Amino acid sequence: MIAYVARRLASLVVVMALVGVCVFLLLHLAPGDPAAIIAGDNATPEQIAGIRTKLGLDEALPIQFLRWSTSVLSGDLGVSIFSNTPVTTLIGQRLEPTLSLALATLAFAVPVALVLGVLAAWRAGSSIDRASMIVAVTGFSAPAFVVGYLMIYVFAVTLRWFPVQGYTPFGENIADWARHLVLPALTLGLAYVALIARITRATMLEVLAEDYIRTAKAKGVATGPMLLKHALKNAGVPIITVIGIGVALLIGGVVITETVYNLPGVGRLVVDAISKRDYPIIQGVILVFSAVYVVINLVVDLSYTLIDPRIRY
Amino acid sequence: MATTRRRFVQGSVAAATFMAAPAIGRASETPAAAKTLKAVMQGDLRSLDPIWTTANISSYHGALIYDTLFGVDANDKPQPQMVESFGTSDDQLTWTFKLRDGLGFHDGSPVTAADCVASIRRWAVRDGAGQHMFLRVKDIGAKDDKTFAITFSEPYPLILDAFAKAGTPVLYIMRKKDAETDPMQQITEHVGSGPFIFNTNETKQGAFYVYDRNAKYRPRSEPASGMAGGKIAKLDRVIWENVADDQTAIAALQNGEIDFYELPPIDLIDQLEADKNIHVEVLNKSGQIVWCRMNWLYPPFNNVKARQAMLYLVNQNDVMKAAFGNPKYYRACASYFGCGTPMENDENTEWFKEAPNKEKAAQLFKESGYDGRPIVILQPTNFAVFNTADQLLAQWLREIGVNAELAASDWGGVVTRRANREPPEKGGWNIFVTSASGAAFGNPITLVGHQANGEKGWFGWPSDETHEKLRDKWAKAQPQDRLAVAKEIQRNAWNFVPHVYMGLYLQPAAMRANVKGVIGMPELIPFWNIEKT
Repeated sequence: MIAYVARRLASLVVVMALVGVCVFLLLHLAPGDPAAIIAGDNATPEQIAGIRTKLGLDEALPIQFLRWSTSVLSGDLGVSIFSNTPVTTLIGQRLEPTLSLALATLAFAVPVALVLGVLAAWRAGSSIDRASMIVAVTGFSAPAFVVGYLMIYVFAVTLRWFPVQGYTPFGENIADWARHLVLPALTLGLAYVALIARITRATMLEVLAEDYIRTAKAKGVATGPMLLKHALKNAGVPIITVIGIGVALLIGGVVITETVYNLPGVGRLVVDAISKRDYPIIQGVILVFSAVYVVINLVVDLSYTLIDPRIRY
Repeated sequence: MATTRRRFVQGSVAAATFMAAPAIGRASETPAAAKTLKAVMQGDLRSLDPIWTTANISSYHGALIYDTLFGVDANDKPQPQMVESFGTSDDQLTWTFKLRDGLGFHDGSPVTAADCVASIRRWAVRDGAGQHMFLRVKDIGAKDDKTFAITFSEPYPLILDAFAKAGTPVLYIMRKKDAETDPMQQITEHVGSGPFIFNTNETKQGAFYVYDRNAKYRPRSEPASGMAGGKIAKLDRVIWENVADDQTAIAALQNGEIDFYELPPIDLIDQLEADKNIHVEVLNKSGQIVWCRMNWLYPPFNNVKARQAMLYLVNQNDVMKAAFGNPKYYRACASYFGCGTPMENDENTEWFKEAPNKEKAAQLFKESGYDGRPIVILQPTNFAVFNTADQLLAQWLREIGVNAELAASDWGGVVTRRANREPPEKGGWNIFVTSASGAAFGNPITLVGHQANGEKGWFGWPSDETHEKLRDKWAKAQPQDRLAVAKEIQRNAWNFVPHVYMGLYLQPAAMRANVKGVIGMPELIPFWNIEKT
């Protein structure tokens, strides 16, 4: 097990190195010049060239890459071209809203999805099944920005139950923190609900057709324990896999949801950075996201051992 | 020790109180909502140095925390602001300025003439008007703590206009130690002497920016007018929220979560105008001009006939209608100096009465020797106005037999490619569309796009010796003589056609009905004089 974890963590370094090279090349080969954006529309080409020189953007790409990768290896993700603030500081400032949103989304989406999926499988072909799957398909099909605007219109502008936008830090006011997260978490969670509910239903259908379930029924095990203890536990591995895969979806969704609800999270940070070609921020955030993704996948793989004793590393 | 339910609840309450403690402390220092204005501005405040970048939003930030030597009033006339008195020598070569009493930076240090000299030097490196002025400056220096002088090699009547101009970069007065920063690098401390203090502790870069009233600021006694007059901060706090999404910002305004929204999309203005709690107003009456730059380095626009053809091809009203819809917020504009500016005139604008005239445009293209080569139009798809204008332009060109090609990218891609002087087929370009403040067009010196000095100039690189001589003549003219010279410039300009206008739009701002006293002016949104009733 320890050797397995060590191997996986070693692969994290390789993955991040590859991501770093790809992101650096994609950004620097794509059109866009931060110096021109800094200088503004009224600047002369000479002024833009002067800024480019000061930023070191006129140096050869390999030299720029060497400088960046050396500083990354020493734990320094660089400094924002525009705000002159270290990227690690910027990411640190934005982590709380993003983590809050991700956790609130998981807290909403996972239980709801499991209930929907289990109910749909238990009553396969019934109206409960169809209703659950309609919710799932709709949730998966509706873009986050459409759902977001609808939520804002209904629950914020019309009913005034929740604020339209913004974020209150947890340490400042817990009630306000929660109020600001309800609509974004519902918006982001819908697609997640759909994804998990569908896989739960499919896996549960398979498990419910197994002999041991028939045996359990024959022995008079009540429906609740039979579904949760015998069926759901055995259907757990693919469900957990999908929850892990869904983290990528969550990261993508966070970007849109944070924009719609004006949450000052990492998603907004990277969107703003892309529009102004703030290379160090984009590179830094993508590196961090890739590391998070690899680690979550590792955690998911390790969690298999908890629900299925046959799996050992 | 076993955990009981009571202990769990007690522990949770204690933990929550501990985590909220810093906020409880802060709450006692937070100004009341009635004295706090929350605003959504045109974009994120990416840089806090209004000299290093020419982004308008950074200039707004500058107007809050820094003061200026002079400021333009509502009639676009320079008026003294930090300066108490000023004068020129008999030979008109030396200007002397004396600062008024009581000027102090937010760190408690007094504003001195040395601060002003250093600020002028840094600004002049980055600003077109400053560069133009410094070509003639022989000497600049402080005479004592409150007095400084500038000596020119020839009389330079534009000095007050340059010092007072509201177009970015504005001459904001910084501390000497900040102003001595390399103009190509950002300052690291943001301490001004203006009516508001930048609250770095509560600002969260990229999310919101906090400004507190400077209780020690001593405003002038004259009423506020543009950037001139008494800058009386009637609010205790101004917060800029960085809301990226238009729909969200509008919903927040309707919900009362924000008080002021600088650039609501014009297609949603009807919705805001119908809300009795919201007031919609055009603050910049000289508007924003959308203009088309042509590349003079390559055919067909290295030929004057092709450029003249563009004057006859463009239907400004169609561009504006497609982009903005409501005619209340746009107009066509023929004057080279923009419309609603002091230099506006109708010299040599017969083409405007005739346009659009596609037959004439086609004929002029033919006379230019156009050979059917592709015309590359840079199309920023993330910039709705320019995207629309580019598509119409491409369509009109195709209708007269010109092989127009749209090169789609985002705006970042356009600003990079437009600097490319290679031929269009090798990564260069033929046309790009951009916009600038209508007020900026009113001054042939400060707007870099008014230059026609070839490859030393702005993208498109127009070249015309007569134009450059006339710009110089305008710079030397006394204020009362400038309009006559402006007419000469315009007569010549619409003959050699450095660029083409695609319309002028008036961007309204939206605010809660209880927000009063917003000063309307081009280029800047001042936050003094504003109050919430």
